[in-house]
Amino acid sequence: MSKLKYIGKPTVRVDGKAKVTGAATFVEDIDFGPNLLYAAVVESPYAYAKINSIDTSAAEQAEDVVKVVVGKEFPYRFGLYMHDRYIFAQDYVRFMGEQVAAVIARTPEAAKRAAKLVKVDYTELTPILKVEDALCDHPNLVHPELKSYEHVPWFFPQDDSNIAHFRKIRHGDLDKGFEEADQVFEDVYYVPRYAHCAIEIHGAVGKFDHSGRLTVWTSSQSPHTQRHLFAEALKPLGITHNDVRVITPYVGGGFGGKAGVTMEIIAAALATKVQGHPVKVLWSREQEFYNTYQRQGVVAKMRIGVKNDGTMTAIEQLLYWDAGAYVEYGANVVNAAGLSATGPYRIPNIKIDSVCVYTNLPPGGPYRGFGYSEFLFGLESFVDDIAEKLGIDPIEMRLKNAIKEGDTLAYGGKMNPSGLEQAINKVKKELKWGEKRESKDPHIKTGKGISLFWKAPAMPPNASSTCFLKFNEDASINLLISAMEIGQGYHTVMAQIAAEVLGVPPEKIRGENPDTDRNPYEWQTVASHITWSCGNAVYNAAVDARDQIFDLVERALEKKRDALYLEDMQVKSKDEPEWSVPLRDFIIDGLMMKDGTWRGGPIVGRGMFMPEFASALSNPETGQGGKPNVHYTVGAAGVDIDVDEETGKVKIKKTVLAVDCGKALNPSLVEGQITGGLVQGFATVLYEDMRFSDKGKLLNPNFTDYKIPTVHDIPEKMVPIIIETAQPDGPYGARGVGEHTMIPCAPMIGNAIKDALNVRIKSMPLTAEKIVMSQKNQKK
Amino acid sequence: MPIAHEFKYLKAKSLKNAFALMEKHPNYQVLAGGTDLICAIKEGMISPEAVIDIKGLKGLSKIKLSNGELSIGSLVSYSEIIESRTIKSYFPLLKEAAEKVASCGIRNRATMVGNICSAVPCLDAGAPLMVYEATVVVEGKDGERLIPIKEWFVGPRKTSLKAGEIVKEVRIKEPALKHGIAYDKLSRYEGEDLAQATVAVYLDEQNNYRISFGSVAPVPVRASSIENLLNGKALSAELIAQAKILVAQEISPITDIRATKEFRLHMCEVMMERSLKRAQMMLGGK
Repeated sequence: MSKLKYIGKPTVRVDGKAKVTGAATFVEDIDFGPNLLYAAVVESPYAYAKINSIDTSAAEQAEDVVKVVVGKEFPYRFGLYMHDRYIFAQDYVRFMGEQVAAVIARTPEAAKRAAKLVKVDYTELTPILKVEDALCDHPNLVHPELKSYEHVPWFFPQDDSNIAHFRKIRHGDLDKGFEEADQVFEDVYYVPRYAHCAIEIHGAVGKFDHSGRLTVWTSSQSPHTQRHLFAEALKPLGITHNDVRVITPYVGGGFGGKAGVTMEIIAAALATKVQGHPVKVLWSREQEFYNTYQRQGVVAKMRIGVKNDGTMTAIEQLLYWDAGAYVEYGANVVNAAGLSATGPYRIPNIKIDSVCVYTNLPPGGPYRGFGYSEFLFGLESFVDDIAEKLGIDPIEMRLKNAIKEGDTLAYGGKMNPSGLEQAINKVKKELKWGEKRESKDPHIKTGKGISLFWKAPAMPPNASSTCFLKFNEDASINLLISAMEIGQGYHTVMAQIAAEVLGVPPEKIRGENPDTDRNPYEWQTVASHITWSCGNAVYNAAVDARDQIFDLVERALEKKRDALYLEDMQVKSKDEPEWSVPLRDFIIDGLMMKDGTWRGGPIVGRGMFMPEFASALSNPETGQGGKPNVHYTVGAAGVDIDVDEETGKVKIKKTVLAVDCGKALNPSLVEGQITGGLVQGFATVLYEDMRFSDKGKLLNPNFTDYKIPTVHDIPEKMVPIIIETAQPDGPYGARGVGEHTMIPCAPMIGNAIKDALNVRIKSMPLTAEKIVMSQKNQKK
Repeated sequence: MPIAHEFKYLKAKSLKNAFALMEKHPNYQVLAGGTDLICAIKEGMISPEAVIDIKGLKGLSKIKLSNGELSIGSLVSYSEIIESRTIKSYFPLLKEAAEKVASCGIRNRATMVGNICSAVPCLDAGAPLMVYEATVVVEGKDGERLIPIKEWFVGPRKTSLKAGEIVKEVRIKEPALKHGIAYDKLSRYEGEDLAQATVAVYLDEQNNYRISFGSVAPVPVRASSIENLLNGKALSAELIAQAKILVAQEISPITDIRATKEFRLHMCEVMMERSLKRAQMMLGGK
C-alpha cells in the first residue's frame, strides 16, 4: 500500500469544537415550540401482576391534562429479533416499572401529578426472579403465548417454557475430548445485572402532524432501525415506513443502552393521540435504570478437560441467562455468547448451551461487550485456576491454547488473521510478568492478573451501511451517514477514510447526524462494526466520487485516466508533474469546454456495504454450518494491583491492554476506546452492584447506591498497546475495537486478587467488602 | 425530573421574620444549602406547604474563634470549613471530615448545620462534633437554647430542635491540651458516597481519649467503654487489640444495600486502630 496521508494519524475530532463549545445539539436542546406537550407514564408497582381495571377519571380532570392513554389503546407487540415487547402492558405487567398508561399534559409537573391519580387495580402474582425458578419443573410462564411470537430464524424458543432461545453448539466429540484429558475441572461463576449509565438519559419527542406524518426525535444508536420498528408496530394505525421520520441529533453516551427501541415507542405511540402536538417523553435517572435495557445476568457452569501439559481437549459451557421480562434484543446477546463461549482458545471438542430465560426483572438487552464480558469472567478466572492446579504459568497456558488464524471456530468457521500471541507477549513484557512488586505498607498485598478477550460483531448476516458523499463549492464534503457519533469518534474516522481516498483533509469533511428522510440506511451503531461496515460504505462512496472526478477530467480535459490521482484538494497526474486542477474549480459547476459548454456537474458519491459472505443459517442441534460472525477482534490485558488485606480496597497501579484492531485508523481514538473501556470494565468488577428486593424491585436505581467511577477511581497508569494484523475486508485493514476493551476487566482483577490474597471470588462484583469477607471466611 | 409538588417560597428577612413565617405556615421546611431538602421534595419524601429560605440572614454565615471558642454559623458551607485557616489550625478534625463529604459541587452548597439537622444516621459531621463535644445553639421566638451535641441527636432523622426554632450556630471549645486527631470514613469508592461508617478520634498529651463512631447506630456514638479502657494509658499494640474487642459493644450496625453489619463492624475496628495510630503520630509531631 502506498504511503497513507490521513489514515493512521491522530486526527483531532471533527466534532470536538461543537461539543466543547456547547454548540452540539442533543434531544433535550431542541425547541419544539409552545404546542409541546409532556407525558408521564404510570408504572407497574409489581414485578408480575394481572391488570384488572384502570380508572383514569381523576387524572383526566386534573389541571393541564390533555389526555390519558391506557395500554389497551395500543394492543401491539414489537421487537428487534423477536416480537415479545408491548408498547404498554396489556393484561399483565411483567416487571416492576413497566409502563401501563400515560398522561399527556401541558407541563411536566402536571403530567407527573396526574399520573399518580390513575388508579390501576392489580392482582399480584408470584414473580419469577431467578433463572432456577424459571427453569423448574412446572414454572409459571412469563409469556404463555411464546409459541405465537414472530422471531428471526436463528432463534429456537421452547414452547410452553420460559426459554425464549436455546443456542446449542456441538463440535467434535465431547466425550472423547474428556477421555483424552489427563484432568477434568469444573466450576460455576455468577454475573449479576448491570446498567449502562450513559450520562444523557433516554428522551424522545413524537409528533404526528395533520398530514399523517410521524416524526420522532430520539437519543438513539439506531435511527433507521427505530423507523422500521415504529412502522412495524404502528402498522395497524395505517402508518407506513414512508410516514415515519426519525431524527437523531448528538447522543450523550450509548454503550448499547440506546440501541434498538425501548421507551421511544411510547413517544411515537402517544403522538398519534394528540395529532399536531409534539409530545415529549423524558426518562428520569431511575427509569433509565429500570425501563430501558439492562445487561443480563448469567450463571455459567463450566467443565474443561486438559492434558498435563496444559493443552485443552474439551470444554462444556452451560450459560443460563436472566434475560428479563422481554428479550426482543437480549436473546441475541445469548446467541452471540453461545457462538463464542470457548473464548479465544483452540479447543477441538465443544458443547455449549446458551439459554435465554424469561424472568420478571427488567428487560435485558445489549450492553458493551454483548455477553462476552459475562462468560469471560468465569472462563478466564477458571483458566487461571486450572493453570495453577497444573503448575503451569497462566500466560504459558494461554499461549499454548490461544486461537490462531485458520483454526476452527466453535460453529465450524475459520478464525480470521489475528495478533493474539503478539498481544499476550506484549502484555507480559509491559506488566513485568513474574516479578513481584513489593509494598512498604504491611497491609498492602500486591498482585498481577491477566485475561485474554475476543469478540465478534453480533448482527444479522445482512446488516448493511450506506453513505452519500456530497461535495460543496469549495470542495469540502458532507457525509450523509446514519451511524451515530456516540463519543467513539465515528465522524472523525469516516472523515479520515474519505480524506484518504479523495485528498481532501478531514477538517473539511463533516459527518451529518441522521434524519432518516435524508441520510441513507444504516442498521445500527452497535456490535463494534461501524468503523468496519460504515467505513467500507464511506470508502466505497469516496471511490465512486473519485471515479466520477477522473471520468470527468479524462473526458473534458483529455488526461490519461490511469495517471490521475488526488492530492491536496486537486487532481494531479503522474505523467505531468507541473499540471493540476483544483477540485473547487469544477466539483459543483463542472468544466467549461472551448465552445462554452460545460461537462460534469455536482459530484455525489454513493457507497454501500453488506457482508455478502455471512449466514445465520445452521443446524439448530449443533450450530454448525453457517457463518454468523464476520470476524473476531482479539487481545490481551493485565493489571498490577495493590489490595489492602484489612479493608479490601483495590488500587490499580498499572493496567495494560493490547488489542489487534487490524489497523488503527486514528490511534488517539483507539487509545480512547482502550482507556474508556478499561475504566468502564473496572467499574463493573469493583463498584457497580445492582440489587433487587425479593419482590423484584430495583433497590438502587441511582448514583447514590449504584457507583460508577469518578476521576479519583481510575487506574494510576493505563498503557494502551495497538496491534495491527490487517483485516482483509476492512477499510484500510481495520476491524472493530469499541466494546472489546472492557471485556477482560473482571477476570483480570479477579486473577490479580487471587495472586495477591489467594482468594478466588466467583461472583461479581468483587467489592472491597466481598474481598475482606471472603478472606475472613477462608481463614475460618 | 421536575418538582411536581407546589409550595410557597418565602425568603426570611430576619430571624424574627423567620419565626413569624414558621408560625404562620406550620408545615414548613427551612432552606439553607438545600442539598437534602430539594432532593426530598423532588422525590416526594416530604411535601412542605412553605419553604423558608434563610440564606439571606445576616450573622449566620461566619466562622469565628474568640475566647477559645469556635462558632460555625448555620449557613457556613463545607467548602468554607475546608478553606478556613482557623479550622485548619485549631480544629483539623472538622477539615478532615469535611473533605470527605460528598463532592466539591455539593460541598459548595451543603452546610454542616444542615447535615446535623437532617440527622440521617449516615451523616458525616456527627462523629467529629461528638469528639469535639460541640454545643448546638438554637433560637426560637421565646429565646435561645444551648444543646450539647450528645443530646442533639434523638434518633434517625430526629433532633432536639423544636418546631419554630432555627439553629444559629455550632460552638466548640478549643482543646486546652496538645492533641492529635484523625477521621476515617468507610465508602464504596473514592468518589462521593454516603458513609457506611465513620470514626473520629482525639487523643492528647495526658492520654485522654475521645472516640466516636457514626453511621453504625441510629445516632452517632461516643465509645465510652473504649475511652475508659484507654484513658491514662499510652497506646500500645496490646491496648489497641483490647480496644478493638470492645467496638462490637459500642456500635449496632445494620445490614443494608450499602454494607453488611459484619463488614461495618470489621471496618470500625480497622478504622479505629488506624485512626488511633494516626492521631498518635500527629501528637508526636510526625
